[in-house]
Amino acid sequence: MGLINEFSKGVIRENPLFRLVLGCCPALAITTSVENGLGMGAAFTGVLVASNIAISALRAVIPDSVRIPAYIVIIAAFVTMTDQLMHAFTPALYTSLGIFIPLIVVNCIILGRAEAFANKNPVIPSIFDALGMGLGFTLALTLVCTFREVLGAGTFLGMQVLPGNSPAILMILPPGGFITLGCLLGLLNRLQRKSA
Amino acid sequence: MRDIIKLSLFLMLVAGVAGAGLSYVNGLTGPLIEKQIRQQKIDGFKEVYPESDRVENESQKYLNASHSPLLKEVNLAYSGTAPAGVIYAIESKGYSGPIVLLAGFDIATAKLTAVKVLSQRETPGLGAKAQERPFLDRYKGKDLAVPLEVSKGAPAKDNQIEAITASTITSKAVTVGVNAAREHFLANFQPAKK
Repeated sequence: MGLINEFSKGVIRENPLFRLVLGCCPALAITTSVENGLGMGAAFTGVLVASNIAISALRAVIPDSVRIPAYIVIIAAFVTMTDQLMHAFTPALYTSLGIFIPLIVVNCIILGRAEAFANKNPVIPSIFDALGMGLGFTLALTLVCTFREVLGAGTFLGMQVLPGNSPAILMILPPGGFITLGCLLGLLNRLQRKSA
Repeated sequence: MRDIIKLSLFLMLVAGVAGAGLSYVNGLTGPLIEKQIRQQKIDGFKEVYPESDRVENESQKYLNASHSPLLKEVNLAYSGTAPAGVIYAIESKGYSGPIVLLAGFDIATAKLTAVKVLSQRETPGLGAKAQERPFLDRYKGKDLAVPLEVSKGAPAKDNQIEAITASTITSKAVTVGVNAAREHFLANFQPAKK
């Protein structure tokens, strides 16, 4: 029960993007197509799982006063590895995500999970925490991407879903990111207040 | 004092382990990445100038400071021992970053064979359409007598390329790049028609 709870809290109750409002930078920048959202989510989850495992395993060894620099080095190493692996095996995705893969280093969700969870809990719960948070972030990104791609480009995963070829271009430009994220956050807040 | 030394040593250890891990992954992926970049280029060459036995980079011979800075590479496509076509690697300035493209020219017919975008950072759904077939096909087989122009709406003249809707800057960037290559091609490979 405990592990399932660690997993599920990241998806809804503590969803990193919609509830903790962390990781907004990639959520605004790369969410122009569903493919980007899924790719970013997968890369992010991979890094988060790896860094949570490493930090949780080392939590007794890392001196408290230098824990942040140690976390950053560990996270940066995993991100660089992911960057190179993606460049080697998924070149198309690598080009479309561009600068946002290296920027996973400073994604506050990862550092946040290290600080808030992995350094206080054993390895197994940390893995579940990372998987839940990763899935939650991926779902959140995909939701934002879906609105933006369908309304802004008239396609979903590259397939034409809206007729005609003059979609609302604004949605795919930067303002569309803010509008979508803002509306979704507002909507979710309202839903939560009702249920509470 | 002892604390500082202990902490620094610890951080050094962490960095060292991270570095070792990175160099392992780099050794694993480095050759693959390189191979992929090379393959991408070869595929690109084939796309813009299909009929050739081999392609040689002869930028050193054909490119110097007096040429347009947009031109990055001059590759000759040989069929047998004689060069049949020229493939230019061009870097043009788009709306939100450089657009790297390949343009192929046929020496015998003095025509543009095809254009391909290798990398770009244009707006998804707008300028990014520059890398798709429908737009790039507008360049296929264009005559080189006069420089190409961008037209909004259906082209009226033969040297006009219809711009992508709402992405005139991107369309112009591609065209400017192709025109730079055209100039170089006419000067170096079409002495009679200059």
